[in-house]
This record gives sequence, C-alpha cells and structure tokens, in this order.
Amino acid sequence: MSTKTAGKKKSVSFFRKIEPYFYLAPFAIGVLLFTLYPIVNVVLMSFKENYNFINQSYSGWGLGNYLYVLNDAYFIQAYKNTFMYVFVVIPISTCLSVLIATLLNQKIKFSGMFQTAYFLPMVTSTVAIGFAWRFMFSHRTGVINYLLSFLGVEAINWLQIPKYNFPALCIYGIWAILPFTIILLLSGLQNIDPMYYTAAKVDGAGPIKSFFRITLPLLAPTIFLVLIVNTISTFKVYNELFPLFQGPGIASNLFTVVYYIYYQFRIKTPMKYGYAAAAAVILFLTIFVFTMIQRFIEKKTKD
Amino acid sequence: MKITIDHLTKDFGSTIAVNDFSAVIESGELIALLGPSGCGKSTMLNMISGILPSSTGKIYFDEDDVTDVAPEKRGVGLVFQNYALYPHMTVLENIAFPLEIKKVKKEEREAKAKEMAKLVHVDMLLDRKPKQLSGGQQQRVAIARALIKNPRVLLLDEPLSNLDARLRIEMREEIRRIQQETQVTTIFVTHDQEEAMSISDHIVLMKDGFLQQVARPQELYDEPANCFVADFLGNPPINKTYGVVQNGAIVLDGGCVVELDAAKNLKEGHKVILSMRAESIVVDEGMKNAEGTVVETYVMGKEVLAYVSLGDYKVRAYIPAEKSFGKEQKVTVGLKKRGVFVFDAETGERLA
Ligand SMILES: Nc1ncnc2c1ncn2[C@@H]1O[C@H](COP(=O)(O)OP(=O)(O)OP(=O)(O)O)[C@@H](O)[C@H]1O
Ligand SMILES: [Mg+2]
Repeated sequence: MSTKTAGKKKSVSFFRKIEPYFYLAPFAIGVLLFTLYPIVNVVLMSFKENYNFINQSYSGWGLGNYLYVLNDAYFIQAYKNTFMYVFVVIPISTCLSVLIATLLNQKIKFSGMFQTAYFLPMVTSTVAIGFAWRFMFSHRTGVINYLLSFLGVEAINWLQIPKYNFPALCIYGIWAILPFTIILLLSGLQNIDPMYYTAAKVDGAGPIKSFFRITLPLLAPTIFLVLIVNTISTFKVYNELFPLFQGPGIASNLFTVVYYIYYQFRIKTPMKYGYAAAAAVILFLTIFVFTMIQRFIEKKTKD
Repeated sequence: MKITIDHLTKDFGSTIAVNDFSAVIESGELIALLGPSGCGKSTMLNMISGILPSSTGKIYFDEDDVTDVAPEKRGVGLVFQNYALYPHMTVLENIAFPLEIKKVKKEEREAKAKEMAKLVHVDMLLDRKPKQLSGGQQQRVAIARALIKNPRVLLLDEPLSNLDARLRIEMREEIRRIQQETQVTTIFVTHDQEEAMSISDHIVLMKDGFLQQVARPQELYDEPANCFVADFLGNPPINKTYGVVQNGAIVLDGGCVVELDAAKNLKEGHKVILSMRAESIVVDEGMKNAEGTVVETYVMGKEVLAYVSLGDYKVRAYIPAEKSFGKEQKVTVGLKKRGVFVFDAETGERLA
C-alpha cells in the first residue's frame, strides 16, 4: 500500500519535472530547425571543399574556401567598403539621432509633425523610398544638389560616377537608420526624471550644461544599446545598394560583405556555396569581435 | 533674509492653487508650511523658488522684488521630495555640482563640498553613488547640495515623507540643527502637524490655497484662528460639537446644556461649533459646565481615555488612571479655559 503511493508520487514528480519541456518544445523545435541548424550548416559548409548544394557532394574538408575568399580582390574590396560604411554611418547617425531625439523630446510646437516626419521611413515601402532617393540624388534635377548649390557646391553626379557612389550610399544609409535609432533614444530620454533638469536649472545650469552633464550620462545605456544594434545592422549593409544602384555601385565598386555572399551564392555560375559560407563566417567573427569590444567599453565607462 | 509674500495668487486654469496669499517670513527662521494634501504648499514653494511663475501678486526677498527674477538668480537652495540626486554622480560631485555650474575651480569646489558634507555628516560617503545610500543619507546629501552655494533661502518640499518613522524624527532634528548652525531662512513643507510643531519657529497653515494662520506652534495650538486650524492640529483630534446659544449657554444637538462664560457674550440663537481638546475636559472633579454619561473607557498606559456622551456627541476626555467609572455612569463634565473654543458654525471664525 505504502510502496504503491510512493511509486505514484515518484511518477507524478517525474512528470512535473519534464512537463515544462513540453511547453517549450514547439518554440525550441522552431529555433533549432530554422536558426541553429542553418548556422551550423553554414559553418560546416565553409570547411567543405568543392561543395555542391544540389547533390550534397564535396571533395574533402579544409580551409580552401577561406584562402580563396581572403585572397579575392572582390572580397577585400567588400570588406574595406563595409568597414568604411560602418565607420562613417555609425558615428554620424548616432550623433544626429541623439540631437534630433533631444529636440523632439522638448515640448516644442509642431513636435507631433516632426515625429511623424522622422518615423515615416519606418512605415513606408523601401522600394518606393528608394525611388524617391534616386530622384533626390539625380544629377540635374535632384533636391540634394539643389540644396548643396546654396553652399556653393557644384552639381554632383552621385549615382553615375563611381567615386560618388559611396557617399550617396552613406547618406541614404544614415537616413534609413535614423527613425529606429531616434525611437530608442526617445524612450531613453523619456525615462529621465524631469526633476533633474529642474534641480539643475535652479542651480543655474543652461541647456548645454544640462545636456552634457545630465542628459548624456543618463542616456548612455541607451546609446550603447543603439550602438551595438546599429553596428550589427550596418555591418550587414546590402539592401541599400538596390534602390540606388540596382547592384554594387555603378561599376562593381561598391561590393559589401553581404553583397559578396549573395554574389557567390546567387550570381556567379557555377554557384560557390563554400565561398559564400566562408565569407559569412568571417563577417560573423568580425561582428562578434566588435560587439565584444563595445560591451567591454560599456562596462568600463559604467564604473 | 526676510521674505514678504504680497497677495500672491496662482491659478492653473480652473483650479486656484494659491489664493490671495500674504505673509511675512522673518530672517533666519525655520518656517513650516503646513496643510492637507493638495492645498497648494508645493505650488507656494515653487513660486518662491521661481520654478513656477505666479499669476498675480508679488514676492520680495528683503526689499528686492523677485517676482519676475529667474530661479537661478534668486539664490535659493531647493531640496526635492525625492531628493533628485543625480544618479551618475558621486556624493562629492552631487554636492559640488551647483559650484561646477558656476565654473568654480575643481579643488576649490571640492574643498567646499567636503566642508558641506561634514556639516550634514556624510563626509565618509563621498565616493558613493546615490543608489548606495540610505534614504536619510540621500536627504543629507540633498541638503548639502542645496546649501553649498550659500542660498539666501533654503526650501524643502516634504523632505521627510520618504523616510520611516524613526528616521523622520532623527532627520527633522538634523534639519533643525543644520538650520541653526547656518542661520539660513528655511521654509519646509509638510502635511504632518507633529513634524511642523516640533521643529519650526513659525507655522504657516494653509487650506485650499488660502492662508489660515501664521503663528508659533504653541500659539497655533492654543489660539486657533478658526475651526479648521483647531481641527487640523492635535492628537487625538479635537472634539467638535455643534450647538445653539440659548440664555448665555450653548445647547448642543441632542439637548445637552453647556454652561460657558465665553458664551454669555454671544448672540441668542447663534449657531456655533464648540470644540474641546481631550485634555481640557475634566470628569467628576468638582468643576461643572455640563452633565454627561461615560460610555466607554480605554486604558492607555498612564492615563485613561474616556468617551463621554454630551447630547448627540461622544467626546474624548483624559481621566486619571486611578478613577474608575461604571458603564453608563452619569458624571459632571468640567471644561478648562485653555483648549476650549467657540466658532461660528457658518464661517468657522473664532468667537471665543
Ligand atoms: N501643473 C498643474 N496644473 C493644474 N493643476 C495643478 C498643477 N499643479 C498643481 N495643481 C493643482 O493645484 C493644487 C495644489 O497643488 P500642490 O501640488 O501645490 O498641493 P500640495 O499642497 O503640495 O499637495 P501635496 O501635499 O499632496 O504635495 C491641487 O489642487 C493641484 O491639483
Ligand atoms: Mg506637494
């Protein structure tokens, strides 16, 4: 009798233990199947020599793909372009969005209108916006050249002359990244107790002093978040190439790492899955190192 | 520095937070601005600091009209209810910040900040961040930060409301000590009458934006200007009864006749409020102003709190512990001169 109940108890508690895994299962299977499996597969693929996707054949394991990619002029160009892009877009977009978010956070007139204007890119079709930007960059009739003419800058052929492709891409990229960044920063700003500003004001602090001594330090955690998220996304620059140039610049001069992956995978015949996979792994490692460095700096500044 | 408030009014659209308020605060005093929640205390304080512009009226610091002077030019030190210490700065940086704004050199301002920290007894915590401080310590830091620029007035908005009961008593004495050491004119907002009574030189009592009375704590208790003041102060609350003047006596609702010298001069048929403090009512001690019945008694340590019915009312009275009364025992009730007030039932004005 007693042993029977004990046994029953044991089976109940065993079920209790494994019960949560049933609830987790649907999600876990999804993650394993659609995220983890492809990642593992890409890493494996990058080490397979002469891999053929269709019949899954390969001639052996090795570093051949990496050696090819690292010596490929297109990849080197892509890697350089991507780095330059990150180093131009991240600082400029971060500074701009901190500035704009701070202004939007003031109780100014028309702030509703400004907010709508800045968030428009998020809710509008990328293709439509891309076309709009083609017009804006247009050599003779574009609004950008028109605005620059006031500064005495002669009309620039942004899209047709290779050396201007990169600045055009950066301008577009900065613009595209702003809304999301501003939303994050605005929510960070709204978490700052207005009491601090009142206290500083009573002590005689002007807007600039308040900004640098109160706003910026209290916003720092959000700025770091934005930096990490945006660095990762700008390292993956690729989409932005199509609306402006329908490809990697006007003269194959604007390869980026992700475009290179796409190029090996999709455009080149026969398709080079191994090269694509190796490039993807290199990009992953690069982003990983960068994120670690940022986290390290964040921790350092916190203390 | 003397502060003169002259017919000051603040309206937020439909609500009038401070209404035609006039008072004079003498130099070097510690003033408690007392009143129930929502009566306009913070609004009043914010107008003195300059954070809020006034609607009409004037504020003078000594002889200077500061009504339209910006907050930073008024020379006020402000302590907020939740202290508003900058979370990313250390205690030292927090205290020194007002001088940092004034571009005082680093060594100089840190020396001054350390001096202030010593005054408020936080000099061993200089490298901590506000998060690593207790409520009482944060409050001290906030006071030090408010005092560092030698303000002409120190303003504190409910500085003790976030603290536990024991710390509250300790900190209010600290505020008193610091105020006496620095001799800075201080206005201190509270809705706790005991807090106000225990540390202030004068109490400014407000209700619904109107000034009720300015007086020394004991005077406010002994000589309330109106029924609200009498009700607001005292623990247990004052016994409040309604009645009519008849033949030089007050007849309470329910028919109890209270003979009172003070009532002899009152108009026949005048509706009045008779308010009596618990310690001013004596039971069966030879003094006789009325007759009542002991309803209940509670032993409270050294004394006994008795509920005595007078007409429709049950009033609280303290009686000596050695006396005992049976239930429903008829007693004579005597009223001392002190702590017994008659107010007009309509206006609440003091009649006697
Ligand atoms: N910015 C505002 N807009 C509209 N009404 C306000 C504003 N600030 C205060 N009031 C109103 O003014 C009145 C007085 O407010 P105040 O904050 O001065 O009260 P208080 O005495 O400080 O109360 P508490 O003890 O709760 O802090 C209240 O009725 C309040 O609702
Ligand atoms: Mg208040």
